[in-house]
Amino acid sequence: MRRRFRYEPFPDLDLPLAARLGQYPRQPDLFLDVARVLARTIAASLFRLQYRLEVVGAPPNMPRVAIMANHQSHLDTLAILTALPEQYRRRVTVLAARDYFFEHACSAMAANLFGQAVAFDRCTELGELRRWAKLLPNIDAGWFLIYPSGSRKRIEPHSGLAGILARSGWAVLPVALAGTAEAWPVGHKVWRPFRTVRVTFGDPITNADEHDLPAELLAFWRTHGRLDSAERGENE
Amino acid sequence: MNINELAGDPLLFYTVATVVTVVLTMALMTVLRLPGSWVPMRTWFVILPVALGAMWLGHGAWTVFVTVVSIVAFKEFARVTGLYRQTLFVLVVYGAIIAENLFALVGRYDFFMAVPTWAVLALALVPIVLRRSENMLQWFALAIVGVVFYGYFLAHLSYLYGSPLGLGYLLFVVLMTQLNDALQYFYGKAVGRHRWTPISPNKTVEGSLLAGATIIVLTFLQAPIAFPHVPPQGVLVAGLIIAIGGQIGDLTMANVKRNAGVKDFGAILPGHGGLTDRLNSLMVTAPAFAHIMGYLYGGFPA
Repeated sequence: MRRRFRYEPFPDLDLPLAARLGQYPRQPDLFLDVARVLARTIAASLFRLQYRLEVVGAPPNMPRVAIMANHQSHLDTLAILTALPEQYRRRVTVLAARDYFFEHACSAMAANLFGQAVAFDRCTELGELRRWAKLLPNIDAGWFLIYPSGSRKRIEPHSGLAGILARSGWAVLPVALAGTAEAWPVGHKVWRPFRTVRVTFGDPITNADEHDLPAELLAFWRTHGRLDSAERGENE
Repeated sequence: MNINELAGDPLLFYTVATVVTVVLTMALMTVLRLPGSWVPMRTWFVILPVALGAMWLGHGAWTVFVTVVSIVAFKEFARVTGLYRQTLFVLVVYGAIIAENLFALVGRYDFFMAVPTWAVLALALVPIVLRRSENMLQWFALAIVGVVFYGYFLAHLSYLYGSPLGLGYLLFVVLMTQLNDALQYFYGKAVGRHRWTPISPNKTVEGSLLAGATIIVLTFLQAPIAFPHVPPQGVLVAGLIIAIGGQIGDLTMANVKRNAGVKDFGAILPGHGGLTDRLNSLMVTAPAFAHIMGYLYGGFPA
């Protein structure tokens, strides 16, 4: 039986640019896809030029991975994306605060192109979590990067979205960042180049819903999320 | 600056006329509390300086402007119909848009006229390359609409700039087509009672006729500057092309929207919708004007 032809307008026709950039799943867009490849290549190159990047461990080759990292700086996303090989980097979707990054078209464009970000609405958190809880089990392939602490100013992870990802059968990849807090401290308007940044990939947790995820993440971050004293001295 | 300077330079004349028209419209809207919102007006404050600025910068800048606008407008059309999911068709149309404007810039009329043929042949190859048949005829047809309306028709705006007498033609056709749209809206809101087509329910008989009459009067007033060599009967033809061609373009794209079940082609121009909502009339008036006036009175293509 042949399917009858139907016009299939895109569902985001009426959305303003910032909202379109923040939506997930993304709608096909040739311009943005090409621009994202260029932007992430430029961003990774600039990051490597300015920082000594140490990568410990390696990411797993799995179809559905939720990268869960400690959050301490605006540079965290760039550091992780730069640390990943291109074959993994292009799969990554970063969840970023809608109220911070997706209110205006310019910041939304920068977040979407350079950070591969989509919007997560912190203001309607419960409704937003329900939406993601419906969405995530149906996604067959993709990598998400989330910061379970929800803010650069705290380290303890929330169980909200991290818990949903774990229950939806996503493999959790703990990642610890060290040195980004000194490279671009919270409250500073500009970054501080020529410092050491270390990205540590842990072992993937495949049955994450059977683990005490917040506790394990916190322990991993506390162990690997700090530079040693010599490196800290260089970073000062 | 005196009136003779203005009369000898269509770009200067139309730039001054545009500024005066915008200022007068704002004053009228404020004083007489005319129907209409300030949102579309504010959008004009962006569109007009950008478009006129590109013209002031020269043929190259204007061609780049037309190319970018055509590509973005076609993207809207492809997103509304769903054609955008058929990447290969879309890439062929983008290629045709770029080629058309490139040949318009270098003044190769032979290639300019041949590109649609080659583009349609390239589009015919897409289902063969993809080895798919389901719905391919429909996507093929929509892609041809893209090549013709967004590539061939709109590229006449690029070609007109470089033609002898073309700048007067170009400025006339662009600004009068936009004014025709605005006047239809204003007259329709002010005195419109009788709707004349279900394709575009906001169109009224009164709005369309009054806008057409106003455009014809304005065409006679500016003919000595836009196309001084054209006799009065030719000026009437020019006015009619804008008045009637604008309606045809508008209704053609309105038909696409009705079929797809959407209100606007996009939201890039606040108060107007998408770029296609702003360009639909020009898609017909530009080629119709260029070929009819060129055939009758010269100045296009060479």
